[in-house]
Amino acid sequence: MTTQSLAEDREIRRITLGHKLNRWDMKVSPYLYISPFFVLFILTGLFPLLYTAYVSVFDWHIIGGQGEFAGAGNFEWVLGQDKFWVALRNSFSIFLISAIPQVILALIIAAILDQNLRAKTFWRMGVLVPYVVAPVAVALIFSNMFGDQYGLVNNALGRIGIDPVGWHSQVVPSHFAIATMVNFRWTGYNALIFLAAMQAVPRDYYEAAMLDGANRIRQFFSITIPSLRPTLIFVIITSTIGGLQIFDEPRMYDTTGAGGASSQWLTITMYIYNLGFGPAGGGQFGRAAAAAWLLFLIIVVVGLINLAATRTIATSGSRSSK
Amino acid sequence: MSKSRRTTAVAAIAGAAAFALLAAGCSSSATPGADDEVTELTLATFNDFGYTDEMLAEYTELTGIKIVHNKAATSGDARTNYFTKLGAGSGLADVEAVEIDWFAELLQYSDKLYDLSNDEVADRWVQWKTDAATDADGRLIAYGTDIGPQAICYRSDLFAEAGLPTDREEVAAMIDGDWDTYFAAGDEFVANSDAAWFDSSGAILQGILNQEEETLESTDGEIIATTNPVVEDAYNTVLDASPELSAQLSQWSDDWSAGFANGAFATMLCPSWMLGVIEGNAPEVEGWDVANVFPNGGGNWGGSYLTVPAQSEKAEAAKAFADWLTDPEQQLKAFVSTGNFPSQTSLYEAEELLTVTRPFFNEAPTGEIFSDRSAAIEVAPYKSVNYFPVMDALQNAITRVDVDKTQDADASWDQFVTDVEAIG
Amino acid sequence: MTATTERPAPISPSRPTAPAHKTSRRARRRAKAIATNKPSTLGYVFLVVVILASLFPLYWSFLIGSGDSSTINKQDVDWMPGGNFLSNAAKVVNDPSVNFWKALSNSIIVSTVVSASTVFFSTLAGYAFAKLKFRGSKGLLVFVIATMAVPTQLGIVPLFIAMSQWLGLSGNILAVILPALVSAFGVFWMTQYLSQTLPDELIEAARVDGASMIRTFWHVGVPAARPAAAMLALFIFIATWTNFFWPFIILDSNNPTLPVALSLLQNNFFIDYSIVLAGVLLSTIPLLILFVVAGKQLVSGIMQGAVKG
Repeated sequence: MTTQSLAEDREIRRITLGHKLNRWDMKVSPYLYISPFFVLFILTGLFPLLYTAYVSVFDWHIIGGQGEFAGAGNFEWVLGQDKFWVALRNSFSIFLISAIPQVILALIIAAILDQNLRAKTFWRMGVLVPYVVAPVAVALIFSNMFGDQYGLVNNALGRIGIDPVGWHSQVVPSHFAIATMVNFRWTGYNALIFLAAMQAVPRDYYEAAMLDGANRIRQFFSITIPSLRPTLIFVIITSTIGGLQIFDEPRMYDTTGAGGASSQWLTITMYIYNLGFGPAGGGQFGRAAAAAWLLFLIIVVVGLINLAATRTIATSGSRSSK
Repeated sequence: MSKSRRTTAVAAIAGAAAFALLAAGCSSSATPGADDEVTELTLATFNDFGYTDEMLAEYTELTGIKIVHNKAATSGDARTNYFTKLGAGSGLADVEAVEIDWFAELLQYSDKLYDLSNDEVADRWVQWKTDAATDADGRLIAYGTDIGPQAICYRSDLFAEAGLPTDREEVAAMIDGDWDTYFAAGDEFVANSDAAWFDSSGAILQGILNQEEETLESTDGEIIATTNPVVEDAYNTVLDASPELSAQLSQWSDDWSAGFANGAFATMLCPSWMLGVIEGNAPEVEGWDVANVFPNGGGNWGGSYLTVPAQSEKAEAAKAFADWLTDPEQQLKAFVSTGNFPSQTSLYEAEELLTVTRPFFNEAPTGEIFSDRSAAIEVAPYKSVNYFPVMDALQNAITRVDVDKTQDADASWDQFVTDVEAIG
Repeated sequence: MTATTERPAPISPSRPTAPAHKTSRRARRRAKAIATNKPSTLGYVFLVVVILASLFPLYWSFLIGSGDSSTINKQDVDWMPGGNFLSNAAKVVNDPSVNFWKALSNSIIVSTVVSASTVFFSTLAGYAFAKLKFRGSKGLLVFVIATMAVPTQLGIVPLFIAMSQWLGLSGNILAVILPALVSAFGVFWMTQYLSQTLPDELIEAARVDGASMIRTFWHVGVPAARPAAAMLALFIFIATWTNFFWPFIILDSNNPTLPVALSLLQNNFFIDYSIVLAGVLLSTIPLLILFVVAGKQLVSGIMQGAVKG
């Protein structure tokens, strides 16, 4: 062979080797990148999940330990409890009263923060302050404010001639008060999530729209919302999951953590927790685990519905396709 | 399969295997081994038992054992912690404090607690306290710390405005008798005042039921709350008196705390530990006093125990430590520092106890008062595993009528019956 | 076309679009507003209301924390603070059961490590899910999201078994750090953000230039993820800082995190809220400091994300 073809041979071999390494790199890297997450997750996230699933099919008391195999018995028991359905009703009610205004408000706040404000850092961090205040302090403030006899709110209502509202004794007012607590804590958080996504929308879109004569509102609905679609989906899904699992706020709405004498504000996660750990009739680990998995199913169903709804809303009215 | 995929799969299989192993050998109680060379013991309490660092250092000097003291803020937190670790099979301290409210629930698992029976200390405590801590096999599984004998706390300034006597002895004479006497005094008060007579109907219910032996459960462990005439009578008595006499507050709620400062009620059932609560909630109010009286003599509310979990590997040493902690000498020191009334009978003659007064309550001789009220306690209600859930349902029934006003007495009782059926 | 950091303002809805050739004063003013993207007065007013509402509880906590045990019960609220804040704060710091400084340092360590690790692993995994194609990616992502739907309260017992019995970490702050090193929420968040904001073309360009996967990740993925990563770090830091339940179970009062230590301020049946809220405020101050630092990062990071080719 000539020197040239020898060199060519070497060249070809080098390219092939490099090419092979490259292909191997491409195939393996994704798994390498997600594996740290999954390895840690298996120990600290998956194991508790599997344990809960295992417990749910047994008669299991937290101290007494594993009892007889109960199959679907725990699930049947939970579904037959009035309290379960009342808790479900409460969770949905609080979820709807809180999530809908929260998302809308977060979008509006984000849209304003997106603009060229003075003292940007102040405004942007300012809306996150509620998230920083410890839940115990938030609960103290709000349950105090919404006290039935001596609370600030009823005080103020009395001054303008409205009868005191039973914020703790009635069902819907208690949901409203708790939803206020939840919104207070999470609106700024969601606003910043939207803001991060809004800031990544290329400005040319807005310029083009402006030249076409669209006003701000039109631009918002035609450009911002569709561009936010993945983020909207993210917020709706996390709000659904979080909203149906609301625990801290209703639990601290009064000092007993029982959700009210007629379970006015007992959410489903409170119900599960009280079943498993609660002072009054608790320790029923097997039943609590069953209820937890029922909640899981419900969240998945509702999540899928919300996903479909968001996709429709976010794509309608979109002029530019990404 | 790529390398990392395989790693993930291996990890998954290993995890599942370990999980299966665990599930098979779940929650076994460790057998207490021989304690040779115990150098350290852990103690877990909640609220404030009065076990100061100095006191614990004394024990170290005596025995050479270092004490590590872990505190939880509330009884509820302590309970969750106890049950979690009992369920996990490890992690509990060598000596664990338990409150009477959830003690009955724990009692059914007395095999997970170390036997603390000891003839030498059997007479240390009031009889009913020891009885409550003895399991079905006759093992004493807890040593008593404090109790909550009740007296009546009252607002002498509100009494004065309504034309009632204000002197401690006179008030005692006025209320002395049974519950009807107490309510009659209340009727006279509310006729001449805007304030209510007592703070919470739920508290009165507790007061009445804590004086009966068989209330919500029979001594065989059956739930009899819905059929026991004692219970229904108490329920009706309380709700008959409430419209006129109750401030319609739920104890421990924000409204209740605010009620102290706003003069919402003139008397309340007062266990010894309630004094600190009253003082803290309304430090500017000057009229509080304590009368040495209680309807039907006396009743107990609250109190705690020390237990030694069987999982501890130093159970014998822990038992000795718990013995020392509940010895009258130590308990007296605890009383002096926190005001938690001791359950050790020998202390009821002690000079230090009998001379204690409380400035905020018009220098009331609280040591003497609670000592007398403790002696007047004749009966402790039988409480077993379902006591607390049923009592909770009953309290909810009262709250629905008195505080929330969402149901009338009959409808609320019907719901109580339904709720009780779901228990157990 | 390179977008600049100045962005065109949307046209105010109150004024109709004027034809471009009019050079009236109104048109010139509008042009100026467009050039600087200033929000309307209404926008500012709305923001002020929101901020006031957000800051109100902090102020209320300060009011109570600067009073005494009965301040919280008062019917006529005195909107001026009392003078006790420093003495109440001193009580918190010096209380023997509350290991304040130890708790503070533990909280700082735990929150920093957890947020750094979560952000790193989530960015790595999020990049893979969002931009790399591999078998099972969709299924695995759905699985990760689904795990968020199972309530975690019951997981305390198995987690305790894992941390305390298998690993022997009871009482060690590692037991609080380990379970929080990764977060399904974090992975989901980074996946969404990167799939929306990182164009495939950028990655292609880097690959064509011969960069390996890891180099592409480092030089293209990470800068694009920066704003979201900063946000995630902030959220996770705060959530870890205020977490009570798990640290309470696994640690003890001798080696606590801040919320566990502060909970010990409530005892003896009566809760003196002036001390408790003084403690709450003390524990919030480090977070507020973090805000100022991170806030600037966020603003500059976000702006950088807006510069795109």
